[in-house]
Amino acid sequence: MTWEQLGGNLIQGLILGGVYGMATMGLSLIFGVLRVVNVGHGAFVMVGAFVAFWLFTALGLTPIAAIPAALVVGMALGFLFFYSVMRRLVGAPELTSLLATFAMGIILEEVVKLIFGTEFRGYNWDVGKMDLSVTVLPLAKLYAFIGSVAIAALLYFWFNRTRAGTAVRSVVEDSEGARVCGVNVGWVYALSFALGIGLTVTSGVLLTMFIPVGINPYMGGVYTLKAFVIAVLGGLASPYGAFFAGVIFGLIENGSYSLFALVPGLEPFAMTRFLSFAILLLILLIRPTGLLGTK
Amino acid sequence: MKLDRVTKRFGGLVAVNEVSLEIEQGELIGIVGPNGSGKTTLYNLISGIYHPDEGRVFFEGRDITDLPPYERAHLGIARTFQISRPFGSATVRENVAVGALFGTLHGQIGVEEAMEVADRYIELVGLTPERDKPAGALTPVEKKLMEIARALAMRPKLLLMDEAMAGMHPKDIDKLVAFLRKVRDEEGIAIVAMVEHIMRAVVGMAERVMVMHQGRKMVDAPTAEALGDQRVVDIYLGRPLEEV
Amino acid sequence: MTRGATKYLPLLPVYLIYLVLFLVAEGMPGMWQLMAMLVFYCAVGQAFNIFLGMTGYVNFGYVAFLALGTYGMALSIYHFHQLPLGVGIVLLGLLLAVVMAVLLALMVGAVALRLGGAYFAIATIGVNEGFRYLIEGTKIWGGSEGIIFSKQLLDTFGREVANKLSTFWADVSVLIIAALAALITLHFIRGKTGYALMALREDEEAAKVMGINVTKYKLIAFVTSAALAGLIGAMAWGLKLTYVFPPEAFDISYTVEGIIIVMLGGAGTLLGPVVGGLLYGLAKYWLTVILPGFQLLIFAPIIIVVVVAFPEGIVGMLRQRLKGTPFEPFVL
Repeated sequence: MTWEQLGGNLIQGLILGGVYGMATMGLSLIFGVLRVVNVGHGAFVMVGAFVAFWLFTALGLTPIAAIPAALVVGMALGFLFFYSVMRRLVGAPELTSLLATFAMGIILEEVVKLIFGTEFRGYNWDVGKMDLSVTVLPLAKLYAFIGSVAIAALLYFWFNRTRAGTAVRSVVEDSEGARVCGVNVGWVYALSFALGIGLTVTSGVLLTMFIPVGINPYMGGVYTLKAFVIAVLGGLASPYGAFFAGVIFGLIENGSYSLFALVPGLEPFAMTRFLSFAILLLILLIRPTGLLGTK
Repeated sequence: MKLDRVTKRFGGLVAVNEVSLEIEQGELIGIVGPNGSGKTTLYNLISGIYHPDEGRVFFEGRDITDLPPYERAHLGIARTFQISRPFGSATVRENVAVGALFGTLHGQIGVEEAMEVADRYIELVGLTPERDKPAGALTPVEKKLMEIARALAMRPKLLLMDEAMAGMHPKDIDKLVAFLRKVRDEEGIAIVAMVEHIMRAVVGMAERVMVMHQGRKMVDAPTAEALGDQRVVDIYLGRPLEEV
Repeated sequence: MTRGATKYLPLLPVYLIYLVLFLVAEGMPGMWQLMAMLVFYCAVGQAFNIFLGMTGYVNFGYVAFLALGTYGMALSIYHFHQLPLGVGIVLLGLLLAVVMAVLLALMVGAVALRLGGAYFAIATIGVNEGFRYLIEGTKIWGGSEGIIFSKQLLDTFGREVANKLSTFWADVSVLIIAALAALITLHFIRGKTGYALMALREDEEAAKVMGINVTKYKLIAFVTSAALAGLIGAMAWGLKLTYVFPPEAFDISYTVEGIIIVMLGGAGTLLGPVVGGLLYGLAKYWLTVILPGFQLLIFAPIIIVVVVAFPEGIVGMLRQRLKGTPFEPFVL
């Protein structure tokens, strides 16, 4: 690999990683607050991708307009699932919430399948390219990256500067203590779950810039796996840990794709998917609290 | 059992600070301290749920600091929990049988024998009528007794009890104390009882008392002397022993 | 009756159901495929239950172990059909199926079972995806094309025997595996392992201080469940279909089916997965006729309802009802 290729890889990996990071923040937020692993994560990503696809092809709206739309759809789904199901499962054995979120994901996939069918779809938001000499970067990807960073920054502001955000943080640290201090813990659970799902669905919009023809009801599985690798890497309960772990993961994935492509007899796309799993096992083996975790 | 200057921190908080403690076979010890003084953390360090940041833990002369909880249980360390933790859907008998199957007798007895051992200890704590009920359906006091039976069925050498007498009627406490003394005499088990308030139990049972305060060992002396210690009276009891 | 014999009474209804299924399949024309499907779901349920039901941990990568079993059979017949083994080639396939499933379970379990249920669930989600893409990415075992070995089977045994193996013995073997799984389940529930698993399912930390090596017992259940899955995959998919194709073999809907069968029937019980398997199999059969393509949409909400409203499942509730009646010793 030449230095130019390496530079190009780093840039592409950084861009992709930023979006991966944002796509994992919702998962970490939900785990941090409710101690629930959202096994249906990828299905919510898929919903976001379809929101972007539908707005673009049916109404001619750009993905920029799809971001707030996806956030609204996601939060609505989040509140719906929380008040119908999750509310009853907070604090119940882990098994129940794992099975429930898993089943939620399946329901979403099957509903979307009913509406759109199973063929792969895509749309092309062509806003030009940028030639960086080491690589050519479609501006759509750059906008997705900027959107991810902006959303992460907004979330940071919300956590640290608003009353609701502070309440959420206090529950993450000590839910009993927060309850005693007058925080409405039930509402914090509902809000965090809805916000977590909202963020996840929104990330689906951003991810469509990277998959020109990869939108399909069952596209989520691979993102569930990637998000889990990233979340564990970032310490599972920390949305910011997740964001930075996402960047690391993006760099690894992009770099490894180029490396796998150099080895004859390997199918690089499938190998990067296998790599996610290998990295996951490795982290769980050496440092289950995450690379960026404190303990 | 010996703790050699063990320390456990959580973030910036020092929960247990350089505590040393020696327990001889057959001793009856009371550990007294207000909520948050580090008592439960100390138990978790002895039973192996936590690993100390500093210091070592010894049992029968052997360094067990790095042993997992189940191996410590095999050596003879048993405990009960502050808030009872029965295996709720299983019956009282099955709960106690778990103790017999996996305690110091592990590998030596089968399920049938474990049931017989369980029945014996259930009878000793007076829960025979409750034997086939799900443990989750017991009253809080019955759950405490069930936990004691379950721990004793492990045939331990050291029994750590965490607030085992909280919420009990004074008469039942006296009965339980008499029972524990008898178990100590017959089986040579060292028993450590940890309490927040009930001085009656400490006075009645313990021969030695350790008082903890803010993660440190403040006093470690024979019962009467420890409870009469001016620092204990000042900081913890607030009034002299005679009035308790 | 002696105590030793009463221990085995709960097997009676399970084996009775299996006998009826076999007799119907043999005696009533056109029923073989339906009965084979029911037996398959009962077997899958029982294998799945040994881990999910008894430990309270979820193996979301369950189907990967079925798939590995299928590959075990496929590789054995595809590569070694020229060896003069006769029917031994099928036994070799079974052996390979079990060994591969067990190795994968040991590897994943040794790493992830030390950690809590959340981490384990995450790791197993990866097993399925990871293993499938390892095969496709390195192009081993036929890569994304899979392996078709009907020709090798035909060459080895001739048309008549090959046919008999695929259409009769494969299904009967699944029935035998299901019966074996029931025996193992009973042995676990009634033995020391069952007490350890019960304790760690209820309260893992309390179980540890009671002297239970929780990682060891979780691993025992995980590996046993995986080995049975390998056997089922080898027979019900490998020998029966005579091909293996990655997107089908790693299809996550089989994991969904395993979950619903166990939870609906009664997690951790002996009879539960059989009842769940029968109900699910029949429901799926009717649904494919009247509403093809809607199974998952109908069953996923049922998982949620069961988990929220009656986590003890059908057999769990039945046991409560039968307490103190003469039927009690038969239902476990």
